[in-house]
Amino acid sequence: MNQPSGSMSDKLRTASILVLVALVFLAPAIRDAISEESAKYVNDSESAHDGLPSEWNDEQVICVLFPDDFPHSIYSSGVTMIDADGSAIGVNENYNVTGACVGGFSGYSDGMEFMLDATRVAGGHLAVGYEVGDWGPYVHTIGGLNDAEVTGDFSGAYWELHHNGEMSWLGIGDVILSEGDVILWRIGTW
Amino acid sequence: MYDFHNIALAPAESLLLNAAILSVIVFALLKAERRLDEGSGWIMLALLAVFAFAGRILFEPLPNIQPVTLIVLLAGIYLGSPRAFALAGVVALSTNVLVLGHGPWTLFQVIGWGAVGCSGALLADRLLIEGELQLNRVAALAFVSGFAFNWIVSSSILLKTDPAMLAPYLLNGLLYDLYHAVGNLVFAAWMATPIGDILLRHSIAPTSETVSEIVTN
Repeated sequence: MNQPSGSMSDKLRTASILVLVALVFLAPAIRDAISEESAKYVNDSESAHDGLPSEWNDEQVICVLFPDDFPHSIYSSGVTMIDADGSAIGVNENYNVTGACVGGFSGYSDGMEFMLDATRVAGGHLAVGYEVGDWGPYVHTIGGLNDAEVTGDFSGAYWELHHNGEMSWLGIGDVILSEGDVILWRIGTW
Repeated sequence: MYDFHNIALAPAESLLLNAAILSVIVFALLKAERRLDEGSGWIMLALLAVFAFAGRILFEPLPNIQPVTLIVLLAGIYLGSPRAFALAGVVALSTNVLVLGHGPWTLFQVIGWGAVGCSGALLADRLLIEGELQLNRVAALAFVSGFAFNWIVSSSILLKTDPAMLAPYLLNGLLYDLYHAVGNLVFAAWMATPIGDILLRHSIAPTSETVSEIVTN
């Protein structure tokens, strides 16, 4: 068939491959730029500190909440507050939820690094299980509760990440923390 | 003795494997098409569905790069909106239910791909001039369709979330929008003309359809 536009389409073919290769090389830089830009949309951390010990007000905190039907073996009554040095500060019984918070950290910016370091303070009681996939680390287990074990009147369950009180659109591997930020994990369902 | 299904493939290896499987499928479909009479629009629609189904699943290791968007766009150009919409529905539902995961998002994917097909049908006069596919225009529309489709699907979060969250949500998806758009560009550059040539033989021109309807009635 006579194709007058033949050389045009050859150009397009070459160009499309070049654009794809460029995108693959630029992807990490684009991802970083987007993460940084997204951080601007993360709420101020102030209200996220409600109910937490006041000495943590400008410190970084991670909380893990467990569903009523699948309570943690130790943190099953109220929310246990654990300081960065491992000492227990107390238990907040005012909330209708159970779990634990570890706080009093500063200087972390990498979400995953903070999560692993902070949960380690609880001496294995908040151990994190995760897989690294194409989309970054996927957290499936915290404190012995694997999201696959959570069943009920829903299709499925997962560990849902909140950043300063709002559901995070970024995975924990892409979250960039500021001073005073509060990370919270609880079981979400779909 | 040996559990060959248990061989763990690296992502690149499984992608190569999938590309090989897809080539076999394409080759078989091309063979099958040669035996069709001209104007077998319905059979072509089914073959496109098989190709899109296989393509979407086999390209799964790559983030957001799959041929469905381009195929639906071409179906819209050559076969018209209703058929493109039906194709979008069949491909989204079958791939999600059988492999990728079915949920409320499937509806939005159907709407998204359906919209891509409709845009192809609406612009068919400018994309297909005297039987010749305007490749650069198709490639440009395919590129834009990547963003449009993703944003339509992303808007599903409005069902559960405050509209204020839409902007950061879309921002976060930007890299994956780009993957989709650039993937479409590549598929358009390499596949649009050969698929278009085949579809041209089977395209159901509005006039011939009216005639056949009059005849059957």
